[in-house]
Amino acid sequence: MKRTMLTGAAALAAAALTLTACSGGDDTAGGGGDTGDASNVDTITLAGWSLATTPEFQVLADAYNEQNPDVTVELQEYDATEYDTQMIADLAAGSAPDMYVLKNLKNFVTYEDGGQLLDLSDIEVSDEVNGVDAYTVDGATYAIPYRQDAWYLYYNKDLFDQAGIDYPDGSWTWDDYAATAEELTEALGGDALGTYQHSWQSTLQGFANAQDPDADVLSGEWEYLVPWYERIVELQDAGAQMDFGAVTTNSVTYQSQFGTQQAAMMPMGSWYVATLLAQQDSGDAEEFNWGFAPAPQLDASTTENPVTFADPTGIGINPAVDADVAAAAKDFLAFVASEDAASALAEIGITPAITNDGVTETYFSIEGVPTDELSQFAFSTHDVRPENPVSADTATLQNILSDAHSAILSGTVSPADGIAEAMDRAQSEVLG
Amino acid sequence: MATTAVDAPAAPAPPPRRNRSRLTLRNTFIGWTFILPNFIGFAVLTLVPVITLFYLAFTSWNAFGQANWIGLENFQRLLTDGTFHTALINTGYYAVLHIPLTLAVSLGLALLLNHKMRGIAFFRTVAFFPYITSIVAIAVVWNMLFSPDSGPINQFLMALGIDNPPGWTTSATWSMPAVVLTSVWREMGYYMLLFLAGLQAIPRELYEAARVDGAHAIQRFWNVTVPSLRPTTFFVTVILTIQSFKVLDLILVMTDGGPGTSTLVLAQYIYRKGFEENDFGYASAVAVVLFFICLGLTVVQFLLNKRKEV
Repeated sequence: MKRTMLTGAAALAAAALTLTACSGGDDTAGGGGDTGDASNVDTITLAGWSLATTPEFQVLADAYNEQNPDVTVELQEYDATEYDTQMIADLAAGSAPDMYVLKNLKNFVTYEDGGQLLDLSDIEVSDEVNGVDAYTVDGATYAIPYRQDAWYLYYNKDLFDQAGIDYPDGSWTWDDYAATAEELTEALGGDALGTYQHSWQSTLQGFANAQDPDADVLSGEWEYLVPWYERIVELQDAGAQMDFGAVTTNSVTYQSQFGTQQAAMMPMGSWYVATLLAQQDSGDAEEFNWGFAPAPQLDASTTENPVTFADPTGIGINPAVDADVAAAAKDFLAFVASEDAASALAEIGITPAITNDGVTETYFSIEGVPTDELSQFAFSTHDVRPENPVSADTATLQNILSDAHSAILSGTVSPADGIAEAMDRAQSEVLG
Repeated sequence: MATTAVDAPAAPAPPPRRNRSRLTLRNTFIGWTFILPNFIGFAVLTLVPVITLFYLAFTSWNAFGQANWIGLENFQRLLTDGTFHTALINTGYYAVLHIPLTLAVSLGLALLLNHKMRGIAFFRTVAFFPYITSIVAIAVVWNMLFSPDSGPINQFLMALGIDNPPGWTTSATWSMPAVVLTSVWREMGYYMLLFLAGLQAIPRELYEAARVDGAHAIQRFWNVTVPSLRPTTFFVTVILTIQSFKVLDLILVMTDGGPGTSTLVLAQYIYRKGFEENDFGYASAVAVVLFFICLGLTVVQFLLNKRKEV
């Protein structure tokens, strides 16, 4: 009998907890409006991850503090890989910091749809800031981007010289890229492969979704991906690109492939510039001449303003903060959108959301950054599209595409069959 | 409660009447104080979340705000969700391979290491080692061993004259066997330990008697060892079954469900739906299904065991 009573009590307690947990998210009306007085606030908190190796948050905080000595931006550290999970838990529990970084654009919709972001439309943001559109829903802006990466084509000048092949000239299409990769592989005769595309789905799908005029991830009509996959499968078969299976089974890192001259080219995001410089400095990467070119294009029509992709990284405000803190946080975010903040970030090798002439100059004054014209052009001139559209279905569709990616590249199915299968799944599980 | 009622007649003679209630109360109280620390942890960290889970399975919830009650909609969705079916079949496939293999290997190891010989402690430790090794390290190393072109396993197979060795974790056909092999290797030491304990509890007299009756080694194994080990085997099978259906960590780090969906299992599907796609209601519904599969199989095993006992 006692057992029954206790189980009953536990069940009651559980039910009570469940109810409170479920009603926890209601009173998030918080701050907002212009009524708050920022001068009442001396500390605002900002979430970041892996602070020891990710200096960008501290740079923003320090640069702001320099201009506004009365306000300190305090960082709250989170785990890099579990960032979104921890942030969702903290927001739901009411213990999240005043401002938090949207690490992955694909989770933006979860926060926005869940009412966890304050409307920031009243912050003035210049047109120079890239990536604001990605955070705009029905005309309202919910986060301010501070960095906007872009994918480039990295190339090893020494290996190109050794092979006697011309450097990329900024006019390449993907077919040119593939042809050069095969030529390089042959000319280098085993010293290195022509190119290295990492096992991520974005190394292929990111470009396809950004550049292909037929691309529409949310439609679930993905036939346009087939030729993209055929091209890379051919590269694998020709031995100009490491096998997908070899990459996954040996836990190959892209840093080691390009950094130790195992591959002459590599499409990769702009963050790798800073990484490669640091690794050449520490000895993890070899010393060699390199540069980065605009990403290869689908056809010649876009070489003037090359189309590439990468998600912006933005900062939003926790709606649970009071009006004063909200005002102070908005002031910080207005600074984040400024050229001063962009220059401060460019100094440490981050690609900021603003890449005007001044910022470009700052960026290329870093020691070791390749200063050739094409690298500068690639940095300053591009049409960068978000990797994923913002929608509640994005995460699910991305997972389906990720399964197709590994199935096709491991040779389990042909590109056409793999994509057809993925489209069936999208229809029956998401769109149907 | 029903079982208590059925068991009651079998209980020994009733205790003396005097002070019975006080004594029972005291004993119960002492009993509870012993298990209370554990029970509080269990209640807060397991019981409450599990009960919450049953509620969430009937809702649509994205981690924020109100969980909307949608009745059986999540379960209806399960009926037509092809990926869920794939995950269900994959989980069954994993269990069917993993349970008998681990049972056989760990029992074999236990028999082997139950002899008196030099360095026995060393060998037992070695067999137990994989179990305490970090799962991530295991996944990385085995992935390399399984590497289709440069991996030692395939090079060995090619040296044996097999021209077309399997692609292991890079092939949809062989990825599940590869994962099963790795997990058998990882878990055999733990179950070996349980079997060793069981083996050492078998009275020597039984073997002597069997020998006197002229039974040879194989007969002694089938007629003495196996029946005497039944309680251990039963326990190991139950634990193994539950573990197999709940498998997540190894698959997550070794293949991430791939290539394609060839190693996607239920626990990973729950993780994906919940923590990657923020569809906690639906993830809870899948978790409820997994819970009932584990519960159902355990009940069946208990019933079978009971029948054998009679």
